[in-house]
Amino acid sequence: MSVTNVLRDGGYIQNAEELTGPFGAALAEGKLIVQRCLDCSALIMYPKYRCPTCFSGNLGWHQVSGAGTLATFTILRYGPPSSFDVEAPYCIGIVKLDEGPQLMCRMHPGSDGTWDHYVCEQRVNFVPADAAEVAERPAAWFSAALG
Amino acid sequence: MTDVWTPPYPEPGSANDAAFIGIGEIPSGVYRERGFMAQIVEASARAIQDARLAHTDIDQIVLIPCLHGIPDQADLIFSRVAEELGLHGRVKSSVMVHSGGSTSDNATRMAAGLIASGQARNVLVVYSERWGSADLQAMIDMLSVNGIPKEWEAPTGLQFNAIGGLITQRYMHRSGSSAAEMAAICVALRDWANLNPNAMYYEKKLTVEKIVNSKMISDPIHAFECPFLADGAGAFVMTSATEAARKHDAWVRIGGSGGCVSHYSAGQDADLGVLGWVKAAEEAYQAASWGPEDADLGEVYDSYAAVLAIALEGLAISPEGEAAREFHKGRFSPGGQFPLNTNGGLLSAGHTGVGGGTALLIEGVRQLLHRAGPDRQVPNAQRCIVGGTGGSYMDAQIMMLERVTR
Repeated sequence: MSVTNVLRDGGYIQNAEELTGPFGAALAEGKLIVQRCLDCSALIMYPKYRCPTCFSGNLGWHQVSGAGTLATFTILRYGPPSSFDVEAPYCIGIVKLDEGPQLMCRMHPGSDGTWDHYVCEQRVNFVPADAAEVAERPAAWFSAALG
Repeated sequence: MTDVWTPPYPEPGSANDAAFIGIGEIPSGVYRERGFMAQIVEASARAIQDARLAHTDIDQIVLIPCLHGIPDQADLIFSRVAEELGLHGRVKSSVMVHSGGSTSDNATRMAAGLIASGQARNVLVVYSERWGSADLQAMIDMLSVNGIPKEWEAPTGLQFNAIGGLITQRYMHRSGSSAAEMAAICVALRDWANLNPNAMYYEKKLTVEKIVNSKMISDPIHAFECPFLADGAGAFVMTSATEAARKHDAWVRIGGSGGCVSHYSAGQDADLGVLGWVKAAEEAYQAASWGPEDADLGEVYDSYAAVLAIALEGLAISPEGEAAREFHKGRFSPGGQFPLNTNGGLLSAGHTGVGGGTALLIEGVRQLLHRAGPDRQVPNAQRCIVGGTGGSYMDAQIMMLERVTR
């Protein structure tokens, strides 16, 4: 997948919607993409207005495998933000993708309905949430890798 | 290859060398009857008196922001403090410095810079916070909106205790620390708070058993490991060494400082178990020409136990992975080898928002001025390492404080 950001008025990304829109649109299709610098090929998360490595404004997107490692996680049991319309508990993780970039994400519960099986540094895979969830809260979800 | 830049540090004792000469503080806790501006004026008055100055000697005000509400913050921005202190028509400027939890260090750098460059003679730095009396859900919401990227992390339901949980999980994995060893950090801080009449938990004891038996809030953080939001206020006065020597036998100077902004969003820090401390410490220790082995005590930001453990290891006060275990063995407790966060820290003196780091800084100055009283004064304290961080622990800021006598 090689979507290039739509650039207008002198060729720069002008607002957060232009910057983040393609990520949410890909999630809605069950795909995980990260930003890619079309000049130096750096993979970038979170998407930036300029490449943090070479400072180019020539930026596009790159679909990743969805395989990665769980750097850390937490199960929030009390005090979710009022604006976040999900009942506690829920599990948040930070995943380092095999391609390099890392991101804050949601973790699927196991078959027992808990998150007790997660440990730091374990292998995880991108498993998209359903379309209604992604439309409401555009986050990437991960599960423990099988085997 | 980068150029090596050696900054022109002030000569100790010179007119360019900034000096802490006075501190003021009122107790932290939940004090619903105390007003925001009343706290500012009282803390300022105590600091000015401690500095042996008249209020009219202050010619520059540096304000540390509050986070409990926009109207009070606006009062700070629009110079209400100058008028309340009777300094309107007298001070050159009244200005706010803001970098979250590390504001104290950046405000100190700014005040010192104003003095060193001749822009100011006597600088008052003051904070006031009303977190203890604020609505808890409103504060949770404020702390889940501010400092968390709305496009990338808000959709996961992240808030501040969850950031603490993520960091603690990572730290415990890296270090192999047990729940009891993590809990020992909060207990050591409480033991210090039990010696500080200004601390929120001056009169309440805490044990490892009580912590590990309290309910889980955001794994692996228990209820008694979460910071308790508090009301509080504190202030300090800085001038030049030549001015300090006119009225004081002892003052505190900045031997050096270091800093590193490591990230903005928690999800983008390369390793949440390290943060920015290593780079900041290298800079600070080189600038000061002394390091942790020469320090008599430390005052290091501690909104969560793991945040403090990570800082101590980055500062090389503890060997890598050993900070929690050293707490468990009593190294940092009252009577231990290395006095740390002697006011009780944010976790037990009370988390007064941006002011929590300022309270630690003030305690460091108090210890070096030998004004901490018989219960918790570190005998003959000469050197103190102060560390600040904030937000998603986005930065690490270090002040190397030294006692100077005339």
